[in-house]
Formats: sequence, C-alpha cells, structure tokens
Amino acid sequence: MRTGTAAATRLADVVGAEHLILEPESLARYAVDGVTPAVAVRPGTAREVTEVVRLARSEKLATIPLGARKLTGIGMPPARFDLALDLTRLGRVLAYDPGDLTLSVEVGLRIARLNETLAEKNQFLPLLTPFHSEVTIGGILATNLSGPQRHAYGTARDFVLGLEFVTGAGECAKSGGRVVKNVTGYDLHKLLIGSLGTLAVITVANFRTFPLPPAQTTLVAVFAERSRALGLQEAIQRSPLAPHALEILSPAMAGLLDPDQRFLSARHWSLLAAAAGNQRVVERHASDLQQMAEHARADSFRRLTREEEKTAWTSVREYPAVAAQASPAATIVKMNTPPTRFGERLAQAMRIAEAHELPWAALVRAAGIIYFLLLPGRKDEATLRSLEEAARELMRVAVNGGSVVLEWCPAELKRGTNVWGSARGDLRLMRKLKAAFDPDNVLSPGRYLGGI
Amino acid sequence: MNRRILTELARLLGKENVLHEPEDLLLYEYDGSVEVARPDCVVFPRSTEEVVGIVRLASRHAIPVVGRGAGTGLSGGALARHGGIIMVFSRMNRILELDLENQRAVVQPGVVNLDLSKAVEHAGLYFAPDPSSQKACTIGGNVAENAGGPHTLAYGVTTNHVTGLELVLPNGEVVRVGSKTVDTPGYDLTGLLVGSEGTLALITEITVKLSRLPEAVKTLLAVFDAVDDATETVVDITARAITPAACEMLDGWTLRAVEAFVHAGFPLDSAAVLLMEVEGLREAVEWQAEQVREVCLRHRAREVRVARDEAERQRLWSGRKNAFGAVGRLSPSYYVQDGVIPRTKLPVTLRKIDEIGRNHGFQIGNIFHAGDGNLHPIILFDSRDAEQFERAVATASEIMAFCLSLGGALTGEHGVGMEKSELMPLMFTPEDMALMRRVHDAFNPTGLLNPGKIFPTGKGCGEIRAQPLPLSATSP
Repeated sequence: MRTGTAAATRLADVVGAEHLILEPESLARYAVDGVTPAVAVRPGTAREVTEVVRLARSEKLATIPLGARKLTGIGMPPARFDLALDLTRLGRVLAYDPGDLTLSVEVGLRIARLNETLAEKNQFLPLLTPFHSEVTIGGILATNLSGPQRHAYGTARDFVLGLEFVTGAGECAKSGGRVVKNVTGYDLHKLLIGSLGTLAVITVANFRTFPLPPAQTTLVAVFAERSRALGLQEAIQRSPLAPHALEILSPAMAGLLDPDQRFLSARHWSLLAAAAGNQRVVERHASDLQQMAEHARADSFRRLTREEEKTAWTSVREYPAVAAQASPAATIVKMNTPPTRFGERLAQAMRIAEAHELPWAALVRAAGIIYFLLLPGRKDEATLRSLEEAARELMRVAVNGGSVVLEWCPAELKRGTNVWGSARGDLRLMRKLKAAFDPDNVLSPGRYLGGI
Repeated sequence: MNRRILTELARLLGKENVLHEPEDLLLYEYDGSVEVARPDCVVFPRSTEEVVGIVRLASRHAIPVVGRGAGTGLSGGALARHGGIIMVFSRMNRILELDLENQRAVVQPGVVNLDLSKAVEHAGLYFAPDPSSQKACTIGGNVAENAGGPHTLAYGVTTNHVTGLELVLPNGEVVRVGSKTVDTPGYDLTGLLVGSEGTLALITEITVKLSRLPEAVKTLLAVFDAVDDATETVVDITARAITPAACEMLDGWTLRAVEAFVHAGFPLDSAAVLLMEVEGLREAVEWQAEQVREVCLRHRAREVRVARDEAERQRLWSGRKNAFGAVGRLSPSYYVQDGVIPRTKLPVTLRKIDEIGRNHGFQIGNIFHAGDGNLHPIILFDSRDAEQFERAVATASEIMAFCLSLGGALTGEHGVGMEKSELMPLMFTPEDMALMRRVHDAFNPTGLLNPGKIFPTGKGCGEIRAQPLPLSATSP
C-alpha cells in the first residue's frame, strides 16, 4: 500500500473519517481494470476535492476521479492507482433557470435523476448514454460518451457552457460561464470533456438545456442488402428532414436488441429513424420517410408503437450492456468514419471478424460512427488471442482520416494493445497540456492516449 | 524594422508580398474596433511553407507575429499591439476540398465566410456561422475569434462547426489537430484552438462542417411601443423554447438611425422592433411563426409583419447588418460592447443601461442578439474630447459590471483581444488566469505570437483609444 497512515489521517481530516474508505472489500468496488486503490475518499464539496487533490499531489498519490463506476472499462488500465476520488456526494443542482434554459450542477449527480427534474419543466439534457440509469454527469463528461440523439444535439462538447474543476496542480479553476454565448478566455472545458480525468477533476458543469419535443415517432425500414440501407441513410441526410436519431443495425444487432423479433428482423439490416417536434413535423417525417424507404426498395417499413419505440431506443442506447449479455468477452470497436465510407469500412470489418471466426454485430450511427461488436461465445486463451488479433487489424483500418478506438473490451486485451490507437502528430502538444494541468502526473496516470 | 529582416522576408515571399513603408502600414493599424497599433511590416504568405518560413525568421529575431484575415474584428485581435509582423492570410484563400456528401469543406484561412456558402449553395449546403461582416471576414478570423452572428442562436457559433485544423506553432512546427470525422481520440485541441484569438498558433487550414439549407424560412418583424414589451417578448419566446433561428432587437433610437441610412422599412415611431427568423421544414416554420406571433401580440406588439418575399426579407436584414455603418454617421466615435446576460434578465438590463447612459449624459443605442442575451450597447461620444472619452469608458465599465453581476460574460462573440484584456480579472480569478497562461505557454512559450491579447497587461482600461470609424465600418 502506497498510502501511508499519515496520509490516510490527513485525508480523513479533509473529508471526515466516515467518508474515508480503507477496507479491502469496499476498495475492491473502486478497482479500475483490475487495479485496486489503497484508499478511497468521498468528498462532499468542491473545497474538499481541492484539498484532497493538493494532498494527493504533495504525497504523489495516483488519483482517479470516479462516479457511478460504470464507465471505468473505457481507456487503458491505470499505470498507478492509489486514491479513488468518489464524487457521488457532489450531487446538487446549483442553479436551474428554466426560462433561460441554463443549468449548473455538481458532477456526481446521475443524469437520469437530473432529467427527471428537468422534465418537470418540459426540458432535458440530451446526454442519453450507455448505463443511462446509473451514470453520472461527471462520467459522461470524462468519457464524452453520447447517445443516438447526438444526431440532433451533438455531444457534451456542443452544449457545455462552462466547467469548474480542480487541476492536477491542485488549483480550483474554471472556464466558460453560465450564459449560452461566451467567448471570454480559452475554452479549457473543451479539453476537459473526454480527457478521462487526466487533466483535472471536474466538480461543476454548466449546461444549456433543451425543450422536450412535444411529439416523437420512430420509423423502421428493413433491407436484405446492406447497401440499400446505407443508401436510404444517405438519402435522408440529403433531404430537408431533420431526424433526431438515425441508425442502422446489422441483422445480428437487430437480433440482440429485439430477441423475439417483434419489430426488428434478425435476417435484415434495419434503419431506425426517430422524428421529433410538433405533431405536424413528426407526420411529415413519417410520410416522407415512407416514400423514401419505398424508393430505396425497403423490404418492409413500419412505424413503431410507443412501447416498441421505447424498447428499441433503450436497447440501442445500451449497446455495451447488450453486448456484454451476448458474450463473455464482448469487444466493441468504435470506428469514426466519414458516412460515405460506411459500406467500405463495414465490409473490411466483417472480413476481419469472419477471418478470425468471431461472431459480430454492427451499429451504425449516421453522425459518423460504426460500433463494431465482436461477440465470441467463450473467453478462453485461444478466443482472447483471436480477439486481440482481430482488434489490432480493425484498428489498422483507417480510411480517409477516420480513427478507431477499442471502446470496450476484456482487460486482457489491453496488455498488448493501446485502446486509443496509435498517437498522431499532436501527441506532443497533448503531453505539454497534461504537464500544464497536472505537472506531477497524479491524475489517472497511464489511462489515456499515448501513455498520458 | 531592421533592413536585413525585411530583405530576408522579401527573399522568402517576394518583394510584392512584404509591406513596410509607413503609408502602406496605415491600413493595418486598425481593425473594426476602437484600437490602434502600428505593425513594423505586413506580409502575405501563399502557403503553409511560407508561414513556417516567416515564423522561423521571426522567432530567430524575437519579433512578434500577428495573424490577420480581413481585419473586421471588433476587439483589436488582429492588431500588432507590440509591433512586429502582421501576417495577412488574404492570399491563402483557396477552398482546398469540398466533400459535399460528408458535409465537410477544407479551406485555407483567407477564404471569405460568404464565399464558402456560395460555393456549396448548389448542393443545398452552407456554412452556418454568419457574422454581420460575412461578406468580408475570413474563416480564419472566424476561427480565431470563435465568431457568432444572428443565426448562431439556433446553430451554434464557429466552434460547433469546425472539426479539424492545421496549425503552425511559433517554433515553425506544423501540426494537425482533429480531423474530418467525429470524436478524434485525445484532447479536443480543435475546441481549444477555436477562439484562442491567434495566441496559441497560426491556423493554415480549416476543416468545417457544412449545414443543410432549410426548406423554408420566415422572417418576422414585430413592432413595439415600449422597450419593456419587446424584451419581455424575448424572455417569453425563450421560456417557451420556441428557438427561432435568429432573434434580433433594435431599440427606437437605433432603428431610426438605421432607417435614415438603409430604408429597411422599420417604423420610425416605434420604441423597439424584434427581427426574427424561423427556419426548417415548412411545417415547423409555420408552427413556430404562429407561436412567435402569438407571443409578440400577447406582449402588446403593435404589429407583426411577415416578410412577403426574399426582397423584403433582405431589406429587413440589411437594416440589421448595416446598423453600425448607420450609427457611424451620427457621431464622431462610438464604442460597442459585447456582454452577455441570462435571457431572463433582458428587461432589467436594458432599463439599467438606459439609466447608466442618462447618468453619464450619453445616448446609448441598443441593437443586439436578443435571443441569446448577447448585448451590443453602443455609446456615442466624441473621442476628440478627453473628458467625454473618460466618461464613455466609465459608462462602458459600469454596464459591463452590471452584466457580470447577473452571472454574465464579458464577450459573446467579439473576443477579448486588446480591448477587454484588462477586464479579464472581473470574470476570472488569478488561478484561472494562471492556468490559461500555462496553456498559452504550452503552445507559445516565448509569447511572440499575438502578444498583449486576452491576458491583462496591467496598463488599465484607459488604454482604450477611440477613433472615428469610416462609414464602411463592419458591424457585429
């Protein structure tokens, strides 16, 4: 144990003895990719977070900020891990101005809980990510995860107005503000979103909120041929329609999402489009989409019932859980791809999966992502080996400026593969920024791109 | 400037691409702001390689380098505050790639904002950020300042439309950040660079998103007999989450000044007008227009006029976009601010601005992006009168302090530049500033790139010098 008794005493002084965790069985819950910390603390205020980080810096304790701990599988295993910084006690809504559509919250708050509050005012934050019911605002910001609604709303980078945070240097700082338009100073919050806790511990986030659409519907078109589904997707993108979500599911993916094949077909490629807005806008989408689906020679086209719709989007949103249920060694390769290359990239990925005899499924997000799932039925050495080879080959598949990340995989795969892919020419700048924020490398060391 | 350096620059770029005679430098002492600063020379690179050459030379001789597009900025961002070289990107103005199917364009920084939209219009696409200077301003300048515009209310500012950049660092290193695709792994350097006001790197290539042109557009002009009714309307429109694509306000004084100059069709006897646009699917536009109209009438709008055709629509917008030129005819000098407030606080803020103006004996006009709470109070004064100038600065500071007391921001779209650098401590703590300084130094350790911007120099606000602006002055 790297954390001496003296350090533990000082941590207890900061957060209170009842919020200091030293018991091994409790600490096991804070493990990140199998690495267990020596101590965990649960600070209750940003002030306490600052004190803890200062102490961590002076004691050189490798510290990982954590929330609901559902997303810790993202990234590399930590190079060191001494102190778990549990932020779930920071769960207050600090300010909500529904008339201004702005919000300031502490990051330990669960997004599902927050959206319940916002729903009372007919508003929401479009951060409907995997593990929606449990995940915290901080977890979403650290990973920059998004959901199907990114098609209409973008990611947190598009609607975070400002952040308050504690840098690895132990400074309490902020960037941005609380108003919807602001260019004062550097947008440091853009750097922090998706930095996996390597630069600073975010304590407070300010958001723009969005009105809940008064009406919504989901249309499904199914195709025997992949190219026709992709063709329809392109046609929709070229049209004046503005769906809120637009996804294509491979046959296996459809089978996983709707095992009883109530509304999807496991023998077809399915295109799912959600339309939202007032009723007339929704109806216009429904009729135009039907025409376009016919034109694209869809094998069938239907409008989901409200219940089917809910099931469909929940499953799409929860693709990592769906994958984990389907396979003990589920591996999800996230391929950021220009939409015109979807077909080509899918074909390459399918060839690789099939060459390694790995069952696969795919979820194509029209915003420019293929989630390619490798779903072997076993998790033995031989399977892990072929998974690793397949993952490496998939990560080399980079077409026209795209990028590939191993988003979720068994920890064993991370021994030989950097999940972030190979670093690019801007790594040197990233290292300098890391040093500017966290000069003693105490925050989440080793978990990020290029060993940061 | 040292002859030898000029000779080296001329060898690098050709004589015709280096200006150094005082009369040639005059134009580059100004931008669209009230600031003035004289460069030692002005250069016009044609390629990234030439930019690298200039930067290396400047670094060897410890000369500041300031990037500049069309010089329409409103905060002194493109002025050589500490002298040195101004690098004008007007000859790097090629559109390098149009990837229409993936809705991306790759452009050099000198491409004029509106020219990109024109180049992709045939495919039903456009570049969404629309600063009022869009006929002249460059995309490089938009990126440096994270420019906004009337339609950013619905579509976001420049940062929401840039996915990748090519940078030249002050040591001459060329680095690419971001890409054409989403979610490039690693820190969002593109997000940091957009809006960094040329203080971190020179940008030599920009990858932008192209947006789809809306199927339908409706432009509405609501006419009010009281300023409060207009601001309450904006509060209500926001609260009902109607989200027009644009929602601009002109108060009575400003619209009369504009009308005399532009003849946009604003009623001369009104206290305020709201110029609003709703866009999207036909069905959405009809619904939104109806909602907007209803809210306006509820707040005692005298009239809600819908532009009948494109000509009328353009006329109304020309009133908005040429407003600052119109104001320039009325006063020897004017000072435009750019503070932002929560939209719910619009009525009280406008009343306060009026009160502050009257206390200081100034006419303050208001023309601004009401929908996102981005104010542009215009203080009219005569800069030849030192006492008036002092009072104008005091008035501006009082307005800004009030905005910040409401939880607002110093600048919504014009940037900090040299105009507001001394005001930064009003918004940011010493720790915030120290961190920004370290980020600055990670890119620009010698401080030779656009020095004297964003960070306080300790010289105080009195440095703000006001000058009469020419009629062609650009507007926000």
